[in-house]
Parts: sequence; structure tokens; C-alpha cells
Amino acid sequence: MSDHTVQKHTAPREWLAGTLFLLPAIVLFTIFVVYPIVYNFQASTLDWDGVNPGRFVGLGNYTRLFQDPIFLTTLKNSGWWILLTIIPQALIGFFLAMLLNEKLRGRAIYRAIFFIPAVLSPVVVGIVWQRIFDPFNGVVAKLGRATGLDFLVHGYLADPKSAIFAAIVVNVWMWTGFSMLFYLAGLQLIDSSVLAAAKIDGAGTWRTIRSIIWPLLRQTHLSLLLLGIIGSLKTFELVYVLTEGGPNHATEMLPTYTFKQAFQLQSVGYASTISVVLLLIAVISSLSMVRAFGSGFLTGDEK
Amino acid sequence: MTADSKAILAAAPPARTGSGPVRPRRRRRPHWAHAVLAPLAGLWLIPLVMVVGLSLLPTSNPGTTALGLFPQEPSLGNYVQIWTNNPILRNLVNSLLVTVPSVLLVILFGSMTAFALARLRVPLKAVIFGALTLALILPMSSIVVATFKILQAMGLYNNLAGLVLVYTALGLPFAVIIIRTSFLAVPPELYEAAMLDGASKFSVYWKVYLPLSRPALAVVAIWQSMSSWNDFLLPLVTLEDNTLKPLTLIPLAYRGTFLSQPGALFAILVLISIPIVVVFLLVQRHLVNGLSGAIK
Repeated sequence: MSDHTVQKHTAPREWLAGTLFLLPAIVLFTIFVVYPIVYNFQASTLDWDGVNPGRFVGLGNYTRLFQDPIFLTTLKNSGWWILLTIIPQALIGFFLAMLLNEKLRGRAIYRAIFFIPAVLSPVVVGIVWQRIFDPFNGVVAKLGRATGLDFLVHGYLADPKSAIFAAIVVNVWMWTGFSMLFYLAGLQLIDSSVLAAAKIDGAGTWRTIRSIIWPLLRQTHLSLLLLGIIGSLKTFELVYVLTEGGPNHATEMLPTYTFKQAFQLQSVGYASTISVVLLLIAVISSLSMVRAFGSGFLTGDEK
Repeated sequence: MTADSKAILAAAPPARTGSGPVRPRRRRRPHWAHAVLAPLAGLWLIPLVMVVGLSLLPTSNPGTTALGLFPQEPSLGNYVQIWTNNPILRNLVNSLLVTVPSVLLVILFGSMTAFALARLRVPLKAVIFGALTLALILPMSSIVVATFKILQAMGLYNNLAGLVLVYTALGLPFAVIIIRTSFLAVPPELYEAAMLDGASKFSVYWKVYLPLSRPALAVVAIWQSMSSWNDFLLPLVTLEDNTLKPLTLIPLAYRGTFLSQPGALFAILVLISIPIVVVFLLVQRHLVNGLSGAIK
């Protein structure tokens, strides 16, 4: 840690000043982050519609969840999501960053084109891609009809077999530019003298990328991996707009299932249980990553 | 700047056939990267071309499009219609009323917290930092029920101020982590020197640390603008009055109505996107530097 303190004998006054600096954040945080977490734990022990007094059921909601086939579907979907978004986004993002780190005409325009999807609202992205995949008016189907490639004329989001993968394609389109930006930022930190030395030693482009640049970007890979896992587990908005978790739960994720239970089925106790389990999965995956790789990639500290 | 963002969105058709303009240049000093980048960028642009294209569908006969992407007879009719027939300006103002205060508050509170964590002696530093990172992984969907109840209890249900507070709280972790790293990069001697000169802690924070961290603040600003402007989950469950709804809720709230007028729907999608794309283009050049300061 590179924390720094000036005069040790003024500790109480320092503490007071520090606390004043922290106060607004602590207050907001306690109300809107800590309390909801506690609330979830408490509500997860109730059979409760959110309005009338709830009935205490102990761990009943948890046993129900672990026997719920839809819970299994959400886990499977999250698994696909983690695998099929993180890897393509990282590879394409890295590739783009390598190309767009050089001086190149139109570099800023290329960067903007790839990053703009990430700044759009999931409402916009979801509705646009619904239309793209529309079997009647969508560009994919129209292209299929125009070229005779009949497999393109298909309701990808309406078919339970393909819906989750169609949603994943949308996610890759949306977030690849974000990975690119992270890699561009990581590339700024690579000492150019290392690369110059590699060149003098006769290392080719491919060799330099594989043996020097890729390993030096370790922190970036790890940050993207963690953000990708968390982001996949948290996926809600995009799926909600694209399919609402359907057809028949085929694209259900833990957050969409929570939402459905809480606001459509008025089963707030059960919804809280799903939230708690989701939070635990997220915390455990993050902690195990910090355990395995140190926390430097998260906090920016050298460790 | 609106012209700029429109240029990016509207420059789509020429860029899609990008291999065209690239080829002549190839005869001079070609950069092989364009051969890969241009087709890929073209592919990436298709949805953006489409959203602009379909917003220009003629209101009377919206069926005729080239590949479902662009109308054969583009018209601005949909924009005229949403502007005159709906209280869309009201929704736009609501979005701004939520986004601008939450961005300012996140930057202010986030940088204050970051300053205390980076430079001051405070108790329980590790606990605070740990709690912040915990919140980074907290899905909004899992706190939305509790938030709904809290806002009700605070009398902030069906109120834009409630949204501002929640967005600020949820935006703090990311802001603190990014800004703290940037503050740590400021030489501590600067802090000591200013303190010895008798400056107050607040003025060191305000006059030295904040101005030196502009790239990090730019990253936080764009990130928070995105989260606040783009969110629809919280407004969906905490706002009742149509006059309070932000822009993002309109496509969902009037889904049925839009079935018969797809052009108007896409015009609203363009309207939702333009402000955030403009903000992105404004801070774009700071982004990479701001992030590289933050992830080093």
C-alpha cells in the first residue's frame, strides 16, 4: 500500500477530517447497498408476497430453489454466457487494441465505432437486435432470402434452442469495444524499451505479441475476466428487453428470474432467496479470483 | 457536437462499403490493417445504420426497405410526430434531471472518499474499501425490491430525487476505485508541502488533487452518465406518473402503440442514444489515459 500519513500526533483530528470526507458516501452506501443486502437475507427466510405479513419458513425457500429446474437453467445459461462472451470479447478486443494502438488513419473513428455499442442503453440495443433477428423484417432473414441461405431465415430469439446464443451474440457486439478500451489502456503501460529490446534481439511480430505483450497484459486479462464473470451473473437488462427470459425460460438468468418472482408472481421471499444465492455466487467467484491472483488487478495496487 | 454524433451514425452507409475508399489508398502507402478493420467496422455498424435507417421510415408506407436496414424513401416524419404528439420533451428533461445530478454527486462524493482513502488517516480503511468492492459485484436486480421499500419509507417513491440517490450510491464504488488510483499517483510530497504551507485538507483536495485527476474524472463521468441515462429497471419499478418517466421507459411503456408505427419507435431509440454518444465523443480522448491510470 502506498498510503501516506503526515503527522502521527494529530491522529484524532485526522480521523475527524477523514470521516467528514467519507460521510456522504457512508450514509448513501449504508442505506442503498448495505441495508438491501441485509433485507434480502431476512426476506429470504419468509413466505411473503411483499405486502401482507410474511410467514417464517426458515431455509424452506433455499430447499425449494435447489429443487427448482429453472434454477438449473439459469446456472447453465450463466455458464454459456461466461464462456461465450468473455473469450470472444477478449480475443477480438485484444486484436482491435493491437491494431488501433498504432498510428493509423481513422484510428479515432474505428475506436468510436467499436465502443459506441457499449454506451447505448440496453433498451436501444435490445429492441434493435430483436428487429435484426426478426424472421420477417429482420436484416438476417432478409439476407437469407436474398442469398438463398435458408438457415438465416429463422426466429433465433423465438427458438428455445438458439435464443440464449442469439442473446450472447448481442452481448458480444455490445461489449467487445469495452475490452478493446481496456487493452488499449493496458498497452499504454507497457514500456516501449522492452519492445525495442525484443526487436533488436530479432523477435518477430507474432513472437513479440505472444511472449511479451500478451503476458505483460496479465492484469488487464484478469480485470476483464472478473468483470466478465460478474457481468454475466448480473445480466438482466439486455435479456429482459430481448426475450424477458423466454421463450419458456430458455434465456432465463438469475436476475431475470428474481425480477419475475418479485414483480410478476409477487413471491418476494423466493425472489430474495434467488438474490442471496446470486450474491453469494458472485462474492465467492470474486474472492477466489483475488485469492488465486492477488488483488492488484482490482485495486490497482502493486502487490 | 450533435453534428459530430450524427456524422458518426449517419456516416454509416459509406463506411459499410469501406473497402471501396480504402483500396485506392492502398496504391500509395497501404496499411494492411484497414483490410481487416474496415470490414469488421462495417459489420459492427450494421445495427447502428439500422436504427437510424428505420427511424427515417416514411410514416405512411413503412414496409419498403433495403434489406430491412434503410428506407427507400427516407423521411423525417417520425421525428416530427414524436416531437409533436407525445410529451417526449418532458421525458428527455426527466432523463437529464436524473443523470446530471447523479454524475455530479458521484464525482464529488466519490473523489472525497477516494481522497480520504488515499491520503488521510481514517479508521477501518480496509473495511470501507472491502465494502466498496463488494458493492461492485452487487446486481441492481437483487436490491431493487429493498430499494423500492426504502424509497417508499423515505417518501421518495414516484420521485426523481430517489433515483438520483440510488444511482449515486451504486456509482460510488467504481468512482472511488478509479479516482483513488489516480490520487495515489500524485506525489505525496505535494500533499506534505501544501499542508506545511498551512493549506486545509479540503483545499488540497479541491485545488490540487481534483484538477490533477481529470482523466480519471472523465472516465467516471462517462461511466456514470451511461448508467444513469441508460437504466430503465429502477424507473420501471419506482415511478408511476407518466410525466416523471425518463426516455428509456418510453419504448417499453408504449410497446403496443409502436407496433403500428415502427418508425416512431426507432426515432425514439435514436433520441435516447444521441446525448450519450455525444458525451462519449466529448470525453473519448481522455478515456484511454484515464483508464490506464486506473488499471496500472
